[in-house]
Amino acid sequence: MVPPKPENDPKSNEKNAKKSEQATVEYLMITLQNLQKENEILKREALKGKRTPSGKIGFILLTIGVLALAGSVINTSTVLAFIGLGLTFWGALFLFARPLKFVTSTLLDSTAISSYTTIDRMILDLDYKGKPIYIPPYPKEAYLPEYLKGLKEMVVFISAEDIVVMPTIEEMAKKQFFLKNPKGICIAPPGYGLVNLLEKELKAEFTQISLDQLYSSLPTVIVNNLELAREFEINPENNLIRVKIVDSVYKDLYSSEQGLKSIHSIGCPLSSAVACALAKTTGKMVTIVKDIVSPDLQTIEVWYKTLEA
Amino acid sequence: MKYGIKLWKLDLVYFPLSIWDVSVWIAFMAIILLITSELLAPYSNNLGDFVIDKKRLRLAALVLGVAFTVTVLLHIIMPT
Repeated sequence: MVPPKPENDPKSNEKNAKKSEQATVEYLMITLQNLQKENEILKREALKGKRTPSGKIGFILLTIGVLALAGSVINTSTVLAFIGLGLTFWGALFLFARPLKFVTSTLLDSTAISSYTTIDRMILDLDYKGKPIYIPPYPKEAYLPEYLKGLKEMVVFISAEDIVVMPTIEEMAKKQFFLKNPKGICIAPPGYGLVNLLEKELKAEFTQISLDQLYSSLPTVIVNNLELAREFEINPENNLIRVKIVDSVYKDLYSSEQGLKSIHSIGCPLSSAVACALAKTTGKMVTIVKDIVSPDLQTIEVWYKTLEA
Repeated sequence: MKYGIKLWKLDLVYFPLSIWDVSVWIAFMAIILLITSELLAPYSNNLGDFVIDKKRLRLAALVLGVAFTVTVLLHIIMPT
């Protein structure tokens, strides 16, 4: 009869650890797939969502206006001509001034929640303790050999340990998700898409402008051009960079009902985009030190810190 | 055999407004749109259930303003 193996056998422990790690990765992959499906469904709903009435009103006014104009010509009526002219003009104006793409901010939150839930689950399951660090990319126009092309993408590194250790350039260039030395994960920042949009509005890359230019131009682009917030302030404060956002479109992501944890360390898409912009402009790593959200979610204050490589 | 010209009664259809009527109308519309776009400037594009692109509204207002100026210049150049 074969005696049962003792439980504290190092080989079996190692096997068990490997198995559990595999199971965790599989579980994460399944969760990720499910969340991606959910995200797709929400995106489709967003497209189907509320149609803006300005288009319908425009068509109705235009039709009545054209009929009135035709009637004025037939009856030689000045009154009908004025009415027709007015209705045609306003109909055409409503069609012209209608935004091409419009979604309500609640749908914007809904699509963002799945990404944060995934990050939360990953950090919780992997028991990672490090703070997310925004690593600046190389400028787009900079020449890099083929095997280092991955360095042109903005990434956020979350370390397994609560110490600031950065992965090597070679490891980051491989575009891997799990990094081994130091142990951690590399993810795309939530504000990655938004930072490209900000650059497009600014008509310049953040790598090409100075920090002062960034401080002066970012509020205009965020408040006036993209209307992502009602007020936006950015200024240096005791070796930190303080950002105050009033009435952000992503404010609901901070609500306690959502219960998102990673949003305070990695930032909402807007504060993440600001972190990306700071990292690109300074060429240094950036981390979110702390954030304060008012109880009514109207004001969000975020403090950033630049780290030397 | 008689030769002659057959006369037809023609009902001419024409637009009942003269260029000066249209000019006054453009002036009114330009003023309304300019005031509206100025008043809407501090608000977002979403006005309740109604969504409008403020930049385009302002553009339309400016185009109408220019159109009115052109009609006034025409009035000065060709007074009759």
